[in-house]
Amino acid sequence: MGRKSLFWILVLSLLLAMGSTVFAATSLVFQSYSNPTEQVAQFIQNVLIPELQKKNPDVEVKYVYVPFAEYMSTILQQAISNTLPDLVCLDNPWVPQLIEAGVFQNIKDNVMKDLGKDFWMDFFSGHRLLTSKGEDIYALQVHTNNLAIFYREGFLQKAGVGEPPKTWDELLDVSKKIKENLNLYGLMLYAGADEAGTWQFEPFLWSNGGSLLELDQPEAIEALELVTKMVKEGYTPRDVISLKDQGDETIWFMNGQVAMMINGNWEFGWHLLPEELQKLGDVKVAPFPVPEANMRSAVLPFGGECVGITTGDSEKAKYAWELIRIWFADKLDEYYAKWTGHIPTLASYAAKIANTRPEFKVFIEQAAYALPRPPMGGMAKYPDVSSELALALQRSLTETQTPEVAFQEAAKNIKNMFTPEEYEETKAYVRQILTEVLGRAKGQ
Amino acid sequence: MKMSKFYLLLFLLPSLALILIFGIYPVVYNGFLSVKDVTLISYIRGTARDVGPLNYKAILDDPLFWRSLYNTIIFTLLSIVLQMVVGFLLALLFNYEFPLKGFLQALVMIPWVMPIMVSGSFFRWFLSDNGFLNNFLASLNWIQEPVRWISSERLVIYSLTAVNIWLGIPFNFILLYTGMQQIPEELYEGADIDGASGWQKVLHITLPMLRPVIIATFVLGCILTFKVFDLVWIITKGGPGGASHLLSTFSYSLAFDRFQFGKSAAVLILMQIIVVLFVGFSSRIRLEER
Repeated sequence: MGRKSLFWILVLSLLLAMGSTVFAATSLVFQSYSNPTEQVAQFIQNVLIPELQKKNPDVEVKYVYVPFAEYMSTILQQAISNTLPDLVCLDNPWVPQLIEAGVFQNIKDNVMKDLGKDFWMDFFSGHRLLTSKGEDIYALQVHTNNLAIFYREGFLQKAGVGEPPKTWDELLDVSKKIKENLNLYGLMLYAGADEAGTWQFEPFLWSNGGSLLELDQPEAIEALELVTKMVKEGYTPRDVISLKDQGDETIWFMNGQVAMMINGNWEFGWHLLPEELQKLGDVKVAPFPVPEANMRSAVLPFGGECVGITTGDSEKAKYAWELIRIWFADKLDEYYAKWTGHIPTLASYAAKIANTRPEFKVFIEQAAYALPRPPMGGMAKYPDVSSELALALQRSLTETQTPEVAFQEAAKNIKNMFTPEEYEETKAYVRQILTEVLGRAKGQ
Repeated sequence: MKMSKFYLLLFLLPSLALILIFGIYPVVYNGFLSVKDVTLISYIRGTARDVGPLNYKAILDDPLFWRSLYNTIIFTLLSIVLQMVVGFLLALLFNYEFPLKGFLQALVMIPWVMPIMVSGSFFRWFLSDNGFLNNFLASLNWIQEPVRWISSERLVIYSLTAVNIWLGIPFNFILLYTGMQQIPEELYEGADIDGASGWQKVLHITLPMLRPVIIATFVLGCILTFKVFDLVWIITKGGPGGASHLLSTFSYSLAFDRFQFGKSAAVLILMQIIVVLFVGFSSRIRLEER
């Protein structure tokens, strides 16, 4: 082959390669931390994008995966250098910060026009609080999750325990029996030095009436004393402070090293897939234990991802919204029924899914008492507040400090993050939310 | 032929540009960040206020900073000294011919070849309360209770240092070993004729001849160890309760756990000052020696 023909082949292939971007009317980038092989990513790539392209064949959508650990630093970098993708799917606690930073486009008009006010009001209030600011809407939460007790029924029976623990006292009691009779750890949890460590402690804190802004109060200290006691008595391995992530708990659980674990419903779409459940044979879920026997439910934080539009280009934003519209208006049933280990963020869907996926029943019931995290810790200051709590938790679990001292120190540091007025205002706001939910949880 | 200054500058330009863009600019930019109230929101919006030295004050008032500084010093000093001693002894050993030498030399290099992600994850499990090491010691009946290698705030930094020593031995070994091979054989032969013992040869020939290599290894090792991040982040994330933070992990957690970029930058600037002081100090020693 002569040099000339080689040259033309090169030119042609270059043109072809460019063609896809030059000639396609619009190309969108959808960024998420869901690994391309995971369910949610599969849904986006195999259901949502093809559906959009059915009516808009010249719109290209590229799915870009950024690992969770690098997600926020990537978004930050993209925002500063004006290279944000067009659509972003991300963890809910980050949303208020990014709304405040002006990363998300206001989609209120689209939501009201294409989905309607009733649809918006069908979202549980926590999700609405998180994804909106004043009257404006900046993102939609696509699914949620919360924490409960996963237990191995066989182990409990062998230990002579009929029922999983409902209260804190029962948690200690059941764990003790498991340790004495089976020489196993009773309960696995996660207490890493990060947000997930805080997230797993918050149900203990909030259910007992404790607040992130009043960690030096008895309600908060009691909650820390309970978890510390679980570790000190050998009911929970001290290794909870050095797990890689919450998925590590499930490895212990599946290996039979522990009889119960605190974990979220996403595990049903991650480690505890149907075949694994069949192999183990006796995995059950019980509600998160509460401090007082008369409580209907624990008060917990909710997790889950939100989707929002991050492009300022109106043409791209149009198709980006169309993708979100398809997700929420046309494909939501299919998504919840088939494509996710998470539970619905909309009340009417939650009721439907509870019937078709019984493994989610406990989580769906608890969702009515679940709170968004950032508003409970000073919104934009939440990551800082959460870090203080995770530090104190680890210090108490490793007996570096007593629960009381650890939380007194954390409370002091948290108070210093605010101006005195800001602090009082936030404290009162958080207390008001807590009082309302606790009132409902206690059936008052 | 004398080249004109223009051409000299032209040839220097690429490396100068590289140093300016990737070396000087980030440091200067970091300096600007460190005197501003930069959070996630103010960073993206570009609305960070000047706060003067307040970030530095907050950092110097934070017990976690002093803990991290202490940890960094312990971690660096112990790592360097023990890595060099073990690396030197290994180099001495491999300077002799013996069976399976090549194979054993390859084994010594293993820690260096393994990605830190792998060795770090391994040690997180190896050193945990229910990990391999404690189970092994218990099976020998040497311990009743698990030793809290990485779950005790006092012990954790020493455990991490031990892991880092293990990781750093090949680096020290290979530099010192290469250095040793450069020492002329005649010196040892002469010493043999004079009836010198093995240790005398090491003390009076190997060590003095190896001096430049030892100093270079020491300075390089110090800088590389001072900025270790991945190992600690993978094994403990600076925990428990911040007890194993190095300056690097402390700075990272300020930035990406707490979104306090201004304070994080202040820690980095303080780190840079320490490195500059150290390098200045060590090159002064070298100059004096000459």
